[in-house]
Amino acid sequence: MTDPITLDIIQNALQATADEMFAVLRKTAMSSIIYEVLDMGTGITDAAGEIATSGAGIPSFVGVLDKAVKVIAAKFPLETLAEGDVFLTNDPFHGGVTHLNDLVLMMPVFAQGELIAWTANIAHNSDVGGLAPGSLSSNATEIYQEGLRLPAIRLIKAGEPIEAVFDILMANSRMPDVLRGDVWAAIAAVRIGARRLTELAGRYGVGVFRQAMAAFMDHGERIALAGLAAPPKGRFSMTEEQDDGSHLSVTVTISVSEFVVDLTGNPDQAASPMNTSRDGAMLNAQMVFKSLTDPQGPANAGSFRPVKVLTRKGSIFDPVEPAPFGFYYETEMRLHDLICRCLAQVMPERFGAGHFGSICGTFLGGIHPDTGRPYTIIEPQIGGWGGRPGQDGISATFSLGHGETYNCPAEVNEARNGLYVEQLALNMAEGGEGQFTGGRGIVMDYRIRAEKGFLTAGYTRSKFPAWGLKGGREGSPNLVEVIRPAGTERYAFVSELPLQKGDVVRVITGNGGGYGEPLARDPVLVARDVKDGFLTAERAAEVYGRKA
Amino acid sequence: MTLHRIATDVGGTFTDLVCLTFDPVTGETLVKTAKADTTPPGFEQGVLDVLAKAGVQLDEVGFFAHGTTVVINALTERKGTKVGLITTQGFRDVLQIARGNRPDFFNMLYEKPPAFVPRHLRREIAGRLDYKGAERAPLDLSPLPGILDDFRAEGVGAVAICFLHAYANPAHEAATLAEVRRLWPDVPVVASHQITREWREYERTSTTVLSAYVQPVAARYLTRLRDGLAAKGMQAPIHVMQSNGGIDTLERAARIPITMVESGPASGVWAAAELGRLIGVPNVLALDIGGTTAKCSLIECGTVKVMTDYWIERSRTSAGYPIMVPVVDLVEIGNGGGSIARADAFGKLHVGPQSAGAVPGPAAYGRGGVVATTTDANLWLGRINPDYFCGGEIQADMASAGTALEALGAQLGLDTSGAARAIVRIANANMAAALKLVSVNRGHDPRDFTMVGFGGGGAMHAVALAQELGVKTVVIPAGAAVFSAWGMLMSDLRRDLFLTRLMDLSPPNAPTLTTLCAEAEAEATRAFAQDGIATAPTFLRMGRFRYQNQEHTIEVEIPGLLDIPALEAAFHAAYEREYTYRLNAPVEVVGLHLIAFTEVGKLVPKPRPLGPRDASAAIKGLRQVDYAEDGSHAATIYDGTRLLPGMAFHGPAIVEDPGTTVVIHPGNRAHLDTYGNLHIAVTA
Repeated sequence: MTDPITLDIIQNALQATADEMFAVLRKTAMSSIIYEVLDMGTGITDAAGEIATSGAGIPSFVGVLDKAVKVIAAKFPLETLAEGDVFLTNDPFHGGVTHLNDLVLMMPVFAQGELIAWTANIAHNSDVGGLAPGSLSSNATEIYQEGLRLPAIRLIKAGEPIEAVFDILMANSRMPDVLRGDVWAAIAAVRIGARRLTELAGRYGVGVFRQAMAAFMDHGERIALAGLAAPPKGRFSMTEEQDDGSHLSVTVTISVSEFVVDLTGNPDQAASPMNTSRDGAMLNAQMVFKSLTDPQGPANAGSFRPVKVLTRKGSIFDPVEPAPFGFYYETEMRLHDLICRCLAQVMPERFGAGHFGSICGTFLGGIHPDTGRPYTIIEPQIGGWGGRPGQDGISATFSLGHGETYNCPAEVNEARNGLYVEQLALNMAEGGEGQFTGGRGIVMDYRIRAEKGFLTAGYTRSKFPAWGLKGGREGSPNLVEVIRPAGTERYAFVSELPLQKGDVVRVITGNGGGYGEPLARDPVLVARDVKDGFLTAERAAEVYGRKA
Repeated sequence: MTLHRIATDVGGTFTDLVCLTFDPVTGETLVKTAKADTTPPGFEQGVLDVLAKAGVQLDEVGFFAHGTTVVINALTERKGTKVGLITTQGFRDVLQIARGNRPDFFNMLYEKPPAFVPRHLRREIAGRLDYKGAERAPLDLSPLPGILDDFRAEGVGAVAICFLHAYANPAHEAATLAEVRRLWPDVPVVASHQITREWREYERTSTTVLSAYVQPVAARYLTRLRDGLAAKGMQAPIHVMQSNGGIDTLERAARIPITMVESGPASGVWAAAELGRLIGVPNVLALDIGGTTAKCSLIECGTVKVMTDYWIERSRTSAGYPIMVPVVDLVEIGNGGGSIARADAFGKLHVGPQSAGAVPGPAAYGRGGVVATTTDANLWLGRINPDYFCGGEIQADMASAGTALEALGAQLGLDTSGAARAIVRIANANMAAALKLVSVNRGHDPRDFTMVGFGGGGAMHAVALAQELGVKTVVIPAGAAVFSAWGMLMSDLRRDLFLTRLMDLSPPNAPTLTTLCAEAEAEATRAFAQDGIATAPTFLRMGRFRYQNQEHTIEVEIPGLLDIPALEAAFHAAYEREYTYRLNAPVEVVGLHLIAFTEVGKLVPKPRPLGPRDASAAIKGLRQVDYAEDGSHAATIYDGTRLLPGMAFHGPAIVEDPGTTVVIHPGNRAHLDTYGNLHIAVTA
């Protein structure tokens, strides 16, 4: 038996390696959605594909990589693997979990001739072909329209890039140079991670290395089970109408050893890109579970052992081919938010009120008027979070689907993309009032400078805003407006809308839900909000019963 | 008479002094060190106290360098002034919006750091520039008098100005600055272009606001210090340590105080680089272990890397606040001598970041501390001499240390010594991870570097860390405990200018790049002259490059004679070393990092003659020492004050110095160089 301190030291080194892979990918990528939005994740699994550790970044990519590695490990038997191999998938029907834009790269790691681990990463690539620029189109009815499918294949054999695969990749992208840069960034990350793990196993021995991984997962499970002690036990259900008129429902059963999310009662899969894979549904159940049990501790296979998900084949949470997945993340957001809303009814103090609840994916493209090169903005938006006990909700922060994600500075945006950012302000819309108010969304104006351009967007919570809790009011909607000489258009979902020079695209994200009755709000806070211009004196009197 | 060269360093607990006195009779330089209590809130008193304690005649001082934590303290303790912000129309909420990131990403109740300026004190002015600096809409200063009236009524103590794209063209900011000064001559006011010429409006706004926030308190402090020293007869100019590892004039520091924010750790790194130059070691891994934190930095080819990616209060659970000023590239972790060891609910041992501080301090201080710290573990293992604890000033309370370690051990299933060894191993693993962040993670092989260990605890852990990383040689500098103050006496007057200017790296742009460099150099030369600095600066020009479409840059030196293909080749090579691959893609210039420096009475240490190798005269005795992973051994104990240049010995050994303890492992060979630095050859 190896001493526990040695195992701790190896486990810390695994975490440091996942973080280093993350830093490498971030610093070398060419798509802003990778280096700034950090729509990416890194991880290390054991030889069997069980996740050991993930690089810091965004929660929805923690625990995604194990699913892909398991598919590769099943398809390529051990004897066919060589040192220096790198594998690739992007297809949710082949371990890809999310949508075709997300390329998952995986590298088997060897030490003393034995397979000891896999290093892996996932990142959103700007364009992988398909019917629309950026590959996402709300018009897609089949996955074939969403880009090139890479069904768990080898990309590099024993250190030698397989040129045919690279050639096919680049030939299918509208932005081949950027794709090439991003794929190489991902290769650099798995290689650097593999190098570190080989050194680590060389130093402590393969046996001790494996023991440390296994012990780390058992440790994760112990923390998870301890975290299950506090929440109330039982069966909790919630059904909620969505912007598109459909109803989603969930039943969560919490016991001392399990956290079961039952999604069997949900609609059939859609002939629109709003499906998410069963792995994706699992991922979101894992995320809520992690937030509930141990938000700051390690996230590995052990941490997620108590989580079970029940789905129905052919439903939007477990679709079959050829279902499209482009906007899977909005469906995942709806699922995550639904589970939170369901549990917030029984433990409001753990969740607070609902947040703006959408990725608010916004895509703008055209020709940069100064450089003549194409530009593409692919960005999620920041919005308001819900009030929580003792505190107002936070303003202008990325959604629960994102995390250590950064918005693009206006100054960089204007240079990089050749448009003007006319304002970036907090959203003063009504909504989110309560004893503790919802945080503010944003209002951001993009003035188009290019002669021609396009807008694609997919926002949910546009009809039904963020939910209030314990008497707090609901928040305000997410939407995008296009302001033209002829008038103002309002959208939640729109694909490839033509834009002309001078048009203003106004991104509006919602305020979070309020927590507690508005009349219970501290008058000092009401007066402060009036002074800061968050509230008019009339509105203060109307909602809070206070004369400012 | 200009006999003394003095560095004073105000720390959290103590104010340190290093005084070098030149003896004209013998030609020798005598080194004197002293410590006095730090005296908040009137920190200048502690400086005067330590000078009095050391008996320095202030009228004989020829050079005076000063480092202070006054800026970082004012920030972390929220003791600055009320700031009013004037910014571009449509962007007053940028300070509160920040970047929208959430490092604690599974936490549903994450708290965003609140803005330093409330919304009603963030005011807007019309006028727009584009990213090239061209005017889109003229500046409209008509609302300014009303804004300033409101600021006065609200008790605003300093004004910050930050406009969009002012990095490219400061004209609107400069006009607003002049008008604020005209309308309200007494108020401290600062505009972003005076501090930084880089893009990213949130970071620049935050930097400007935080500079305004600390400006009155810093200016008051520096003025009192100057007056206090002048009253005692000092005529030498005061130089103030900056975060970039250089020193600058007191007047400039009072004008833009925010550049002092990380000056303490910076001077240690600078000292390590200077030491490397002195002893012919260009590649240095600097390790500075204090009471609360450990700082690591990598110096390659004698060059200290300076960046502007600095944040305060940033952690895995908080986004923190950016300060876009030149700061020495270092990694700081919460692992020092006073770091608390604790077992979590799952039997995992953690060391730091919480620290026992000076009160109650480690259990062995006998001041009521009941939790085990790294220092307690080092005492228990025989690495620190309990009878020579803190230079003999404190008798170590070994019973308290033992009780604390035993209690921890009980939670971990270890005996007392086992718990002590576990603390040392985890602390070392934490520090090794930090050292890897600055070395292997950036493509450097630690085997090519010499480790310089200093601060109170650097010498205790350096050998074990060197072994872990494969470093072959460790150098413990003479006066390791006050090495940072020593670094101030070795500093140049230095300014780092970062300019954002986007262009392709291509032959047609060569004239533009040349002009950019020439203009920046002319501006720096002008500023040096304006600040009364006698000698014109020398320049080092670094270009910031990337592949087209990338965001992050790497720096490559731009030689005097511009050769675009050579520059491009140098970028490809530097990029490949860091990231394992290169691309056949166009290269972009994002901007310039100009380093302007000049010597202002820098110290040149004099070698002493090497004496005999025999070190037995310095032996104090023999003690059983537990080397954790390297086992327990009977170690020879040396008195550091009796070790002389040329002496050599081997491990297992311990060198006891008043300020620090050097732990030399079995198989190590050690010798003192001509300057009294201890070199340890590590066996991996």
